[in-house]
Amino acid sequence: MKKQENKKTVQEMEAPVVNLKVNLDRVDTEPKKERPMGREYPKSRSQMPESQLFEFAEYHAQDAEKIAYSNYSYWKSVWANFLKKKPAVIMSIVFILLFIFTFVASAIGKYDINMAPDPLNRMYISPNAEYWFGTNAIGQDYWAQVWYATRASILLAVLVSIGQISVGVIIGLIWGYVRKLDRFFTELYNLIDNVPTIIYMTLIALMVGKTMLTMGIAMVGFGWLATARNVRNLVFMYRDREYNLASRCLGTGLGRILFRNIFPYLVSVIILRLALAIPGTIAYETTLTYLGLMDIMVPSLGNLLSAARAVFPRAAYTLWFPAAIVSIITITFYLVGNAFSDACDPRNHV
Amino acid sequence: MNDNNLYTVDFDARAKQILAQEPLLSAREVEVTFSLRGKKLTAIRRTSLDLYEGETLAIVGESGSGKSVFTKCFVGMLDKNGSITNGSIMYQGEDLAQFTEKDWLRIRGKKIAMVTQDPMTSLNPLKTIGYQIQESVELHQGLKGSAAKQEVLRILEAVGIPDPVRRYRQYPHEFSGGMRQRVVIAIAVACRPQILICDEPTTALDVTIQAQILDLIRRLQKEQNMTIIYITHDLGVVANVADRVAVMYGGQIIEIGMANEVFFDPQHPYTSALLCALPQLGVKGEKLPAIDGTPPTAYTKIVGDAFAPRNKHALNIDFQEEPPMYEVTGTHMVKSWLRDPRAPKVEQPKAIQRLSQISMTSTGTDPSAYHPHLDPNRETLIQVKDMQVTFGSGRKKFVAVDHVNFEIYKGETFSLVGESGSGKTTIGRAIVRINPITSGEVLFKGERVSGKISKEMDTKVIRSMQMIFQDPMASLNERAKVDYIVSEGLINYHLYNNEHDRQDKVQRALQEVGLLPEFSSRFPHEFSGGQRQRIGIARSLIMEPQFIVADEPISALDVSIRAQVLNLLNDLKKSRGLTYLFIAHDLSVVRFISDRIAVIHKGRIVELAEAEELFAHPLHPYTKALLSAVPNPNPYVERAKKLLVYDPDQHHYEKEGPEWTEIIPGHFVYANRPELDGYRKEMRL
Repeated sequence: MKKQENKKTVQEMEAPVVNLKVNLDRVDTEPKKERPMGREYPKSRSQMPESQLFEFAEYHAQDAEKIAYSNYSYWKSVWANFLKKKPAVIMSIVFILLFIFTFVASAIGKYDINMAPDPLNRMYISPNAEYWFGTNAIGQDYWAQVWYATRASILLAVLVSIGQISVGVIIGLIWGYVRKLDRFFTELYNLIDNVPTIIYMTLIALMVGKTMLTMGIAMVGFGWLATARNVRNLVFMYRDREYNLASRCLGTGLGRILFRNIFPYLVSVIILRLALAIPGTIAYETTLTYLGLMDIMVPSLGNLLSAARAVFPRAAYTLWFPAAIVSIITITFYLVGNAFSDACDPRNHV
Repeated sequence: MNDNNLYTVDFDARAKQILAQEPLLSAREVEVTFSLRGKKLTAIRRTSLDLYEGETLAIVGESGSGKSVFTKCFVGMLDKNGSITNGSIMYQGEDLAQFTEKDWLRIRGKKIAMVTQDPMTSLNPLKTIGYQIQESVELHQGLKGSAAKQEVLRILEAVGIPDPVRRYRQYPHEFSGGMRQRVVIAIAVACRPQILICDEPTTALDVTIQAQILDLIRRLQKEQNMTIIYITHDLGVVANVADRVAVMYGGQIIEIGMANEVFFDPQHPYTSALLCALPQLGVKGEKLPAIDGTPPTAYTKIVGDAFAPRNKHALNIDFQEEPPMYEVTGTHMVKSWLRDPRAPKVEQPKAIQRLSQISMTSTGTDPSAYHPHLDPNRETLIQVKDMQVTFGSGRKKFVAVDHVNFEIYKGETFSLVGESGSGKTTIGRAIVRINPITSGEVLFKGERVSGKISKEMDTKVIRSMQMIFQDPMASLNERAKVDYIVSEGLINYHLYNNEHDRQDKVQRALQEVGLLPEFSSRFPHEFSGGQRQRIGIARSLIMEPQFIVADEPISALDVSIRAQVLNLLNDLKKSRGLTYLFIAHDLSVVRFISDRIAVIHKGRIVELAEAEELFAHPLHPYTKALLSAVPNPNPYVERAKKLLVYDPDQHHYEKEGPEWTEIIPGHFVYANRPELDGYRKEMRL
């Protein structure tokens, strides 16, 4: 058996090599015990004459220093992975088109948002060629109402969400990083969080006013809590890493440590929270309107839904249109948020 | 505690034994590929290995050499995205390469078991130690109830855990690192496997504990007649345990032979370069013969000999054709064109010749070397006075650093050596003011820098004192470009005239640490450990400091890269007149690089002396224990070494308290009077 193996290796060795004639007698493979190990010769063939092949090659320190790295980029992978989630991508496009359309809709509609009310003649006309979405309780064109409300609600939701997340992130970063302030922020958090937000909102609505601006600011004022706590807990993961110590050794200030050393690691979480905050704000606004804590004179999706609920089986269409739009927004951000958090997980980057 | 029969080894007799045997496990032409982000990466490039019954084989390699992946094939524990794409692994007439998950249940744990590196992650923190071992016993040995418990207690006793009945009910967190590793070993050997694979079993442990664990494995091997594969990057461990050594590089075994053959007559240029780069074999004051560059990763395209680009004496053919395995002796094989009869003959480098001579008492030293502390005009750069650092308060108070005093002179390398938890890092951090000190003070050039200081002083201190960190993976901000990382200090104090000047400074700093200037636009994850460490050094250098705290700067690096960083630190010391506080746990490295060494134990410096003096006349029993445990790359010396164990109770400090005493000029020890008398006798004063 040993002899067979021996022969086989000799053939293998001779077959692919052209320039190198291996004189087996001179190679130290004494046939005491044959152990064919390793691949004998690679497929590539040398162009050099044999005499040169066994001379010392020139040494280039630069070649040794070359880096063989994977050209992996975190954000590129996140993006590529996100694009793989077809429903989320399609819904995002639908949402963007919807938002653009809110600006176009009032232009192509036959009637203005400020159309004079005429409840006697035009109350609750079902959708037809004249009034595409029908009319509301006081005889205004519902098409104009719905699209105006959509735009207002989306803008409110986006602004409130950005406000909440920004405040939350800034406070969360400081809360998590500055040990001395940990106690202060924890107590502040407990103080605010232990009373149901709806009570604060009721007080503000009754004492300050129910305008969209006031309520928007109030929503930001109480909405940052969850984000801040989440960010604080995440900061703990990075706070004591050696690169932060290095920055402190170099005299880097608190602000730059937070925004250059820690913030970039939290971006994925922040975007996820932002995505989920937008439908959350719309739902919250609807709740507040239902409770009568929002100004009903300015059309918003919450307003329309609240009004439609009262007349539901009769003028059902007044519910269907805003409900469909709220559904689209909620589903979109739900899908986008999930797809994004999946895409951010490095384990899915394989 | 050493049973000397276990340690003495006759390599020639072993070699004969091996040549007469049929292999127990025989891997042939094994290729392992991983699929990662749509790419096929070859981790193991057709390599072969025979394992013989009863032997201890050490597989040595740097990170990315494929040593772990290769042995994981023997237990069917490859990651999900990896598979054996070629070759066979024959064991007891079966091909392990073809095994399904169901087949593995018969072999894994029962016949072939594995001990992994980190004992904390291989134990379940929510289950008692007894439960975890019993689980393995019940599953593999079929014992039930009290019989199983008896077996567990027997095993615990066997792996050297005192009071097994009490320990049986305890949880992993109640065990020290060394004890935890003993438990992991207990679980692995519970079902008396034929082959035990130890994947870096002692890397996470202190040297004194490491020696004990190696001793334990050796004893169990003898008792149970196991065959052991060690995977390690530590040549000292290899010298201690191995009968045979396989060296892996770029996914292949490039040299294999009996330990004495590989250590004293290395044939592959990589093996020889790796040994030469050991600080133990270096001559103090001279450059270590470092290997440039970084080991290949799975992303590297390998043509010819994988080591060729880093080999200073590569042949032309190395860049073109993969070398075959040449047989040097019956047991020694090497995959290098240098063994070809047409290749030029190369002599063994001096360091290799030195290797066969070294023992713990002598290494090469340049007698003309300048030692700043011996200079009559020495300037004290750093003075630590009665430093105490405590963490927590009240009952949970923990004294990390306890009344520590020392001075560091301008231009010297002062080393602080101790085991994990000894407080050495805390001292370093307290000096650069990352950790506040509880009492005492730190003076820099005679001015107090600890506690509250003025803003100008603060700036001055930051610019003159910098720190290099241990873990190059954690010490760089992954989300910032090298350009920002290196110039962070410049930006903080606006130490540049304009944008162009800043970039210029960054590029000069990168060049000074041996990196290409164009690296500045890359992100840290694109670099290897050694390169990242050098980026960290560039970041501190750009502040033009006078004093650098180097906190274990090479312990997380690959063996071939350590020499690069040590050389760099030494070069910078010369060119910039730097002073270092070098914090380390590895005495062999410290001896090569330092002028003076302080040994720290449980927050207290127990001995301080000039480096060679400390090695020649260690006084404190803890220093002696630490020195006895230092791994030596000479297998004969390493195996013959006598391990001393330090017991803090051996002091009698109740009657007479110890004091920090200068026993001879420059040699300090922490001892009481009777002890000092004993030490003086020892030194024949």
